Amino acid sequence: MPINYYIFLSLTLFVIGIIGVLTRRNAIIIFMCIELMLNAVNLLLVAFSKMHYVTNVSKVTNAGSDGQLFVFFIMVVAAAEVAVGLSIIVMLFRNTHSVDVNFLNRLKH
Amino acid sequence: MGPISLIALTLAALLFSAGGILVGKLFNKGSKNLQKGEAYECGIPTKTSPWHQFNVGYYLFALLFLIFDVELVFLYPWAVVVKKVGVTALVEIMVFIFILFMGFLYAHKKGALKWM
Amino acid sequence: MNALIFSAVSGVIMMFSSFLLNNKNSVRVLAHVLLLATIIANIFELRGISFFHIDTRGMLEFDRFALLFTLVANVCTFAFFLLSSRDLEKIGNHYSDYFSLLFFILAGIVVSSSFKSLLMLFLGIEILSIPLYILTGSDKRNLKSNEASLKYFLMGSFSTGLMLMGIALIYGATGTFQTGITVAEKVPVLLITGMMLLLFSMSFKVSAAPFHFWTPDVYDGAPTVVTSFMATVVKAAGFIAFMRLFAEEFGSIRPEWKLLVGIVAAVTLFIGNITAVFQQSVKRMLAYSSISQAGFMMLAIYSLSNDAKEGLILYAAAYSLATIGIFAVLVRMKDYTFEGFNGFAKQQPFLAGILVVFLLSLAGIPLTAGFLSKFYMLKATIDGGSLALAIFAVLMAAVSVYYYFRLIQSMYFKTGNATISGTTTGFKYTLAALAGITILLGIFPNLLTNWLYF
Repeated sequence: MPINYYIFLSLTLFVIGIIGVLTRRNAIIIFMCIELMLNAVNLLLVAFSKMHYVTNVSKVTNAGSDGQLFVFFIMVVAAAEVAVGLSIIVMLFRNTHSVDVNFLNRLKH
Repeated sequence: MGPISLIALTLAALLFSAGGILVGKLFNKGSKNLQKGEAYECGIPTKTSPWHQFNVGYYLFALLFLIFDVELVFLYPWAVVVKKVGVTALVEIMVFIFILFMGFLYAHKKGALKWM
Repeated sequence: MNALIFSAVSGVIMMFSSFLLNNKNSVRVLAHVLLLATIIANIFELRGISFFHIDTRGMLEFDRFALLFTLVANVCTFAFFLLSSRDLEKIGNHYSDYFSLLFFILAGIVVSSSFKSLLMLFLGIEILSIPLYILTGSDKRNLKSNEASLKYFLMGSFSTGLMLMGIALIYGATGTFQTGITVAEKVPVLLITGMMLLLFSMSFKVSAAPFHFWTPDVYDGAPTVVTSFMATVVKAAGFIAFMRLFAEEFGSIRPEWKLLVGIVAAVTLFIGNITAVFQQSVKRMLAYSSISQAGFMMLAIYSLSNDAKEGLILYAAAYSLATIGIFAVLVRMKDYTFEGFNGFAKQQPFLAGILVVFLLSLAGIPLTAGFLSKFYMLKATIDGGSLALAIFAVLMAAVSVYYYFRLIQSMYFKTGNATISGTTTGFKYTLAALAGITILLGIFPNLLTNWLYF
């Protein structure tokens, strides 16, 4: 399969994520959309990694492996972010009993 | 070792679980009470509706599990090269696990793992 | 490498300090000692002595620029500790954890200012931002702090997503994460798209317009001590990473982004300064002032010369020291509005005098470090070929004088009862020392910039 298909698929997922972040009002759903963005990137990185492997394997035996390693780092950092983000949402829910981001407009003067 | 082993394993698993149920049926004394038929039965009668607000503390376990679970993803690339790199790799993964352990120790000390 | 390992280990030690030590004072003293050790280790490395020999496989490079900025960041953090560590403890119960988070942020600053691989850029920025999300929300009962934290978190991870997409596209175009790409005559579309996404996400992180909208809300909602750290050291670190990224990774395709960065700088200067004029709260005014100062720092990325490098380091030091000083006083004030400062000079003539030095430095009046750093930026911009941008920046600096002098006006020429609490002698002397450094750097900038070369 040509690489373009992968690029289109992951860009589609990415844009769905962006639209979700910009339009949805539930903090958890916004959060899920951000995860969708990150996973679109993961998909793209793996596809590129394979592409570079196929083109460069004659010169370097482990060509493209760094792309897959990057995916591991993204997964771990995303997990750390999820932990912090969910704690923030839980903390907010304790105080306001809502996870609606429209509800949060106290900071605007 | 071919597809035969996979089929044998599947059969063994089926036999084992079916055997367990069968043995249970045979030696069942037949105690019947109301709680028996309820969902999530664990020996204690349920008091309220299950759609109940959970204590926030339970999320802590889930979050801690998530972090420590996902950190271990680094063991996979390590496992690919451990034979080639040798002792250095072993030392490095020890350092990594030690750092994770410090995080675990911190969570324990903070009382995040206490059952409330 | 010294500073990285020292600050990471210090963070872990601080995590456990609350179990080992049982009073607040010893925890605070421990934090000071650890930070001092980090500074000394970093100076050793700047003099060529590295304690650790770790092969980073070309992912990190500790050149003089990175080391010097690490030193500036550590020293500014030390000043922040000296002035505000007592206020930091007042935020909540977990006082030792705040220190440990600050140490982790410092580790992130080292990584993001010395990266040689886009992977390290990503990790550095994340190590730096995740503790900040927590610190922003550390005032758990305060709804404003909660909201600021959620907003910062959502915006931050959104921009991380953009950054990752940019990195992935660049990887697709070049096949490597190492910085320093070489391109043929025709620049690939993937590379340009990736570069744009990285530009957007870094602008988010350093709050350059038009991606600045989260800044005032978050800075206003976060506990004031945390804002003080966030608006100074962390923002400067963001700029160092920004500059390193665009100098090393995209240096060879400069014509593609130069105009865009110039526009971002001009818009940032305009929006930051004009909105700051209308603020009634000093805390919010400082938030907008941080946006306008970010505009000036963007000029360094626009011009990318040696002057710009020196100037950015000087700017980071001058801006951080002055803002940390003002915030340290602001935390102790009862009323954060301009009216709250009425008659301040009558009650605290000494503190008011020091505040004036800091405000003059921020406004860029000669004989202060702020003036010289702005001067370096303008010189680099003119050498970089844009007189118009430099003139626009000067005009905007003139606007900024208005709102900084408004604070001086309410301190000296208005009557009222400004209330401040908890000013000890040590606090006053530390502030005076910071003011001294601000003036000293304003007269002899070489004291700092020479470290870049010898």
